Amino acid sequence: MKRGSLILFLIFALITFSFAERTLQIWAMGEEAKNLNVMAEKFMKENPGVKVEIQAIPWSAAYDKILTGIAGMQLPDLAQMGTTWMAPFGSMGVFEELSSYMRDSFISKDIFFEGSWQTVELNGGIYGIPWYVDVRVMFYRTDVLKEVGYDHAPQTWEELYDAAKKLAARGENMYGVSLLYTGVFGNEFMPFAWQAGGRIFDEKGNVRVTDPEFVEAIEYYARFFWEELAPMGGGNLFQDFASGAVPIFFSGPWMVNMIDQQTPEIKGKWSVALMPKKKTRTSFVGGSNWVIFNTSRNKDLAWKFIEFMTRPENQLEWYEIVGSLPAVKSVWEYPELANDPIMKVFGEQLKDAKSPPNIPQWEEIANAISRRVEEVIYKKKTPQKAAEALKKDIEKIVK
Amino acid sequence: MKTNWIWILTFVGPALILLMVFLIIPIFASFYLSFTDFNVFAMTDWSRAKLVGLRNFIELFKDELFWKALMNTFYCLVVAMPVTVVLSLTCAVLLNREQTRFKSFFRTSFFLPFITNTVAIAVVWSWILNPSYGLLNWFLSLFGIKGPNWLGDPRWAMPSVIMLVVWKAVGYNAILFLAGLQNMPDFLYEAAELDGATSWQKFWYITLPMLRPTMVFVTTMMIIGYLQLFEEPYMLTQGGPLNSTLSIVLYLYRQGFKFFKLGYASSIAVVLFLMISALTLLRLKLAERE
Repeated sequence: MKRGSLILFLIFALITFSFAERTLQIWAMGEEAKNLNVMAEKFMKENPGVKVEIQAIPWSAAYDKILTGIAGMQLPDLAQMGTTWMAPFGSMGVFEELSSYMRDSFISKDIFFEGSWQTVELNGGIYGIPWYVDVRVMFYRTDVLKEVGYDHAPQTWEELYDAAKKLAARGENMYGVSLLYTGVFGNEFMPFAWQAGGRIFDEKGNVRVTDPEFVEAIEYYARFFWEELAPMGGGNLFQDFASGAVPIFFSGPWMVNMIDQQTPEIKGKWSVALMPKKKTRTSFVGGSNWVIFNTSRNKDLAWKFIEFMTRPENQLEWYEIVGSLPAVKSVWEYPELANDPIMKVFGEQLKDAKSPPNIPQWEEIANAISRRVEEVIYKKKTPQKAAEALKKDIEKIVK
Repeated sequence: MKTNWIWILTFVGPALILLMVFLIIPIFASFYLSFTDFNVFAMTDWSRAKLVGLRNFIELFKDELFWKALMNTFYCLVVAMPVTVVLSLTCAVLLNREQTRFKSFFRTSFFLPFITNTVAIAVVWSWILNPSYGLLNWFLSLFGIKGPNWLGDPRWAMPSVIMLVVWKAVGYNAILFLAGLQNMPDFLYEAAELDGATSWQKFWYITLPMLRPTMVFVTTMMIIGYLQLFEEPYMLTQGGPLNSTLSIVLYLYRQGFKFFKLGYASSIAVVLFLMISALTLLRLKLAERE
C-alpha cells in the first residue's frame, strides 16, 4: 500500500515535471517593473508553455540587491540594468557575452543610438542590449524668458550665461539656472565638458582633464555659482520652476510627466530645448539595458525576450505605457513620437549624446570630479589647479 | 554533579552559531581583507585578491580625505558628547521632579526621536534647515537674525548634522539618567535638607556623584556610537559640501560599497576599531581612577 502510493506520486511528479512550463525570471526596477507584466502577457501568448516571473525591485534597493545576488550567485535569467551599472557589475564577470546571439538576429549595433550602444560595450565584448534611453535636455519657462527678452531657448553658452544673468537680476532670490553643486554630480557636469570639446581620456588612455577645453568647462560651470546665477542650498526644483525663481534646469524625460503632475498650473508655459552649444551640443545619455546572467539555464528564452522587447512595435507600445524613450532609432519615425513637439527635442538630442567611460572605476571618478569642481565653486581652488588635482586623482584611480 | 554539556549546547548553541556567522567570522574576515587588495574584479572570483601586506594602511595614512573624515568625526564627538550629556541630564532631572506634570507624555516625546527612522527624520530636518523656506531660519528671522545656509555652507553643515545627532540621542540618554536618578535613596536628600542644603548643592554634591556609574556607561556608549557616525550625514548631506560632513564610516561605505574596494574599506574599519577600543579603554581607566 505504502509503496504503491509512492510510485503513484513519482509518476505524477514526472508528468508534471515534463509538462511543466519553462519559467523565465526577470528582475526589473521602478515604474518599469510595475508595468512590465503587460508586455510579459503578450510574450507568453506568443510563446505558449513559457511563464514569465517578474520581480519588482525599487531603484533605491536595486544596487544592493544585485550586489548580494552576485555574491551569493542567486540571480534571475534576465535583468534590467542601469547603464552606469554596466561596468561595475559587468566587471564582476556575471553577464553573458552576447555577440554569438546577435549573429543570426535582427538586433545589431546600427539600430540603436550610438551613445546608448556605448553603454553595452565592455572590454571589447557586448554584455547587454539597450532597452530604453534617457537623455538630458534643457527645461525652460517660455514666459519668464520672454520677460528678459528671450523669445527662444538659449542656444549657446554665451546666450545661456547672458540669459541667466538677466534672470538673476530680476531681484533677490531670483536665479537663472539650477545646477548641482554638491553630492556626486559627475553625470551632470560631463555634458559641459563634452560641449567644450573636453574629455577624460584620449585614445591611448591618457588623462586629459587639464586640457584647456576641460578647464574652461569647469570655469563656466562654477561661474554660475560665483555670480549667484544658480541657487545654492535648499529650494525645491518644482516649486522654484513653477514660481519662476529658477526658470531653467537640465534633466531627463521623466521630468515631463512629473512637471505636469506636480505643477499643473504652469501647463503651456514651459518647454524643452537642446543643450547649449559651445563646440557641440552634447548631452548625457543613460537609461537601462537588458542583461542575461551567465548563471541562467534559460539563456535562449531570455534572448527571445530581449528580441521581443527590441521589436520596433513593442518599443513603441512600451513608450506608450510608461513614456520612456525608445532606444531603437527607427521607432522615432512613428507619428506618435515624430509629431510630439517635446519628444522631437529628445529625439534630436539623442543624436548628440554621450555616456561616460564604461569602466568599473567610473563611480569613483565621478566622485573625484564632483569633489574638485566643488572646490572651484567654493573658490578653494582655481579651475586650473582643480584640474591638475583631478588629473592626479584619476591617474591614481585607474592605476 | 557532572556538567551536562548536551543541555548547555542545546540552549546556548543556536545563539552561538548566529553570533559566529553574523559577527565573529565577519570581524575576522574583514581583518584579513584589510591586508588584501580585494576589489571589484575579486567579487565573484576571490582568488583574484592578493595579499598586499600593509599597503592599504600606508595609503590610508596618505589619504587626504581619510584625515578629513577623521577630523570631522572627532569634531562631532567632541561637540556632541558634552551637549548630549548636559541636555539629557537636564531632561532627566526635570522628569524626576515630583512637581512635573504629564511625566509619561514628556518621557515618550523625548524618546520618540530615538526610535523614529532616520530616513524620515532626515527628510523633515532638511526642510527645517532649508535656508529660504525652513522653519529654523524663519524662527531666527523673528529676532532679526539672517540664518545661514545650513546644509550648503561648509562651516555650518557639520553643526547641522550635530544638531540632528544630539536631538536624536537626548531622549535615550535621558531615560538612562532617569533610571539612575530613580535608584537613588531618598534619605540622602532628606539628610541634606536637614543640613540646609540648597537644591543646587543637592544636585552638585549628591545627584552627580551618585550618578557616576550611569555617567560612565552613557559616555562610553556615546564614544562608541558617535565615532560610528553614518546615517545622519548620509541622509542629510552625503558628506558634502566640500566633504565637511564626511565621517569615517561614510567614507568606509563609499570605498567598500560604492567603489567595491573592500580591502581598502576593511583597513578603514580596522583603524576605526582600534581607535574605538583605545578610547573606550581610556574612558574606563579614567573611571577606575576616580
